[in-house]
Amino acid sequence: MIHYVLRRLFLLLFVLFSLSVLTFSLSFLFPGDPLNNLSGYQEITVNQLAILERKYKIESDYFTQYIAFLRRVFSGDLGISFNSQAPVFEQVNRIFPATVELAVYSLLVSIIIGIPLGIISAYYHRRLPDTVILTTTLVGYSLPVFWWALLIIFTFSLHFGWFPSSGRIGLVYEVPHISGFILVDILRSDIIYKYEALKNALMHMALPTLVLTTYPTTVLIRYTRGSMLNVLETNYIKTARAKGLSPFQVLLHHGLRNALLPVIRLIGLQFSSLITLAMITEVIFSWPGVGRWLIESIYQRDYPAIQGGLLAIATFVIIVTITSDILYKWFNPVSRTQVDGKF
Amino acid sequence: MLLLDIRNLTIELRSGGNSIKAVERVNLSIKEGEVHGLVGESGSGKSLIAKAIVGVLNQRWKVTADRMHWRGQDLFRLSRKKRRQILSNEIAMIYQEPSRCLDPTSTILEQLLESIPSDQLDGNLWDRKKQRQARAVALLHKVGIKDHDQCLQSYPHQLSEGYCQKIMIAMAVAKKPDLLIADEPTTALESTTRAQILRVLKGLNQLKNTSILLISHDLETLSDWTHTVSVLYCGQMVESGSTEQIFNRPHHPYTQALINSVPDFHMELAHKSRLFALEGSIPTLQHLPIGCRLGPRCPYAQRECVKTPTAHKDHNHSYSCHYPIDYSQEQR
Ligand SMILES: Nc1ncnc2c1ncn2[C@@H]1O[C@H](COP(=O)(O)OP(=O)(O)O)[C@@H](O)[C@H]1O
Ligand code: SF4
Ligand SMILES: [Mg+2]
Repeated sequence: MIHYVLRRLFLLLFVLFSLSVLTFSLSFLFPGDPLNNLSGYQEITVNQLAILERKYKIESDYFTQYIAFLRRVFSGDLGISFNSQAPVFEQVNRIFPATVELAVYSLLVSIIIGIPLGIISAYYHRRLPDTVILTTTLVGYSLPVFWWALLIIFTFSLHFGWFPSSGRIGLVYEVPHISGFILVDILRSDIIYKYEALKNALMHMALPTLVLTTYPTTVLIRYTRGSMLNVLETNYIKTARAKGLSPFQVLLHHGLRNALLPVIRLIGLQFSSLITLAMITEVIFSWPGVGRWLIESIYQRDYPAIQGGLLAIATFVIIVTITSDILYKWFNPVSRTQVDGKF
Repeated sequence: MLLLDIRNLTIELRSGGNSIKAVERVNLSIKEGEVHGLVGESGSGKSLIAKAIVGVLNQRWKVTADRMHWRGQDLFRLSRKKRRQILSNEIAMIYQEPSRCLDPTSTILEQLLESIPSDQLDGNLWDRKKQRQARAVALLHKVGIKDHDQCLQSYPHQLSEGYCQKIMIAMAVAKKPDLLIADEPTTALESTTRAQILRVLKGLNQLKNTSILLISHDLETLSDWTHTVSVLYCGQMVESGSTEQIFNRPHHPYTQALINSVPDFHMELAHKSRLFALEGSIPTLQHLPIGCRLGPRCPYAQRECVKTPTAHKDHNHSYSCHYPIDYSQEQR
């Protein structure tokens, strides 16, 4: 197991290395002068030129430049945005939690809803509950997210007026920025109207979460169902039944653990598509997250910002994926107790 | 009294519109305290019969029988719940691939503990827990596992196939069944382990009077300790009778071929037989011959054989063949 974790960590390092090389080379591949793209200064005066050239080692070979780039990344310097002329790193840092918050809550909702429904569906295989659940997921699975988002906004926001359709929190509340996760920040701050603010934030969160959770939930339901059905067909389940355990006991003691193992892995793999969907959702709901910011930067050809956003999102997705892979191995006794080096 | 009495068991595989009879009109009866052997090539439907008895075949299979009596009670007429109760209390089954019958994610201890029925224990919760532990260890000893501590803490994939088989037997005997169905219990094992397992099963039969339905593809395993034997070919029961009858005077060409293919028997039967191995191989379910399914491979086949032969009964010896081997001339 230790070996496995080490190997995964090496893989992580390697992928992050490739990512950094890619990001670094983008400055040269994007149109314009690499120095502009790297630093983010659009008009460089003669005075600045000397300083920047020294800082970015633009006269040296690519390797030295790359090392300098890595140094800057680790010290939190990603240049400044063409657009706002503010440091990219700070910007990413400030808005990234909003995306993570949206994605994590949607993922949690999809786990809480998807896994039990998948199990129920498998338990009532080919009977009414199964058919109903399966048909519903098929619909959810095939909804284009932007269309679904608009439909939700029309219904719940414009027609009924139950939920707000944009932003993270009403403008009247002033929540200090500590961790960037708004619910956490509200709970930890000592503003007046704390619970009103909390309620308001939750209301803002409802619709984007609902939209974003639809796809992963349907995927989870179908996958859990399939996995459970496979497990229920195995001989060890038949043996457990033959021991005289009740169907519920069989499900609890032998079904769940085996069926949910592959689901853990799936959740990790789903994370990248979740982030992609989150970007679209952010644009539609004006959610101030890194996805919306990145898309805007792309429209405005703001190369330093694109690089920074890309680096942040990709790093995050890679880390989550590898962590879920390690968790999967850890929960699975077959691989956990296996002799090292054997898979 | 007959423990298990099955008449005309048919098992069909539903695929698309039509259905294929994987097992056709099979009779099987087992007396109390008897070891009954069920032998046939692989693919002949032995496992299907066993699974049909314990009712674990899934929706794709259709099981019908004129009669499936357990101690005089028709299992098909009972409610699902009652049937499950009988099956789980009185019949135990050891499946063909033991390592696949153990949950890969829980330890042997957990799986062994839950197979000990709670009505065998008494006292409060703490006492019961201790009794369960002690019973688990005793069960392992009974099937010949001595390093019980290490075994109990292991996960199935850490143990060899023979160990898993022993644990399956331990779990099966935990509830003291009246009938133990052992589906090829020794096939995947090397010879010393094989002998151990057979000894455990034999002991169970002799000491506890447990009936055993012993399924095997290999006649040799059955020869020295079964009381009665049934021979299956391609889903049809070709011959059944006492072990002596089957081995000494087989009436069915297939049984004879099986016996001749075993080297030991071959020596003494050489002068009587013409065939050592049948040509060809067992047909697949998609290409079953009509009538006697041995037809295309049978050296004695004639035109009559396209009709399914009915069972002839001669005392307790029954065989389904239009042209059975005749021993009357020899005796003259
Ligand atoms: N799940 C299944 N789907 C389709 N055919 C099956 C299935 N299980 C068994 N069979 C077929 O049923 C026949 C009998 O199988 P089985 O009872 O396992 O044979 P045996 O145990 O005698 O080797 C075989 O021809 C096999 O191909
Ligand atoms: S019925 Fe015919 S084909 Fe079948 S075993 Fe007898 S002689 Fe052979
Ligand atoms: Mg079999």
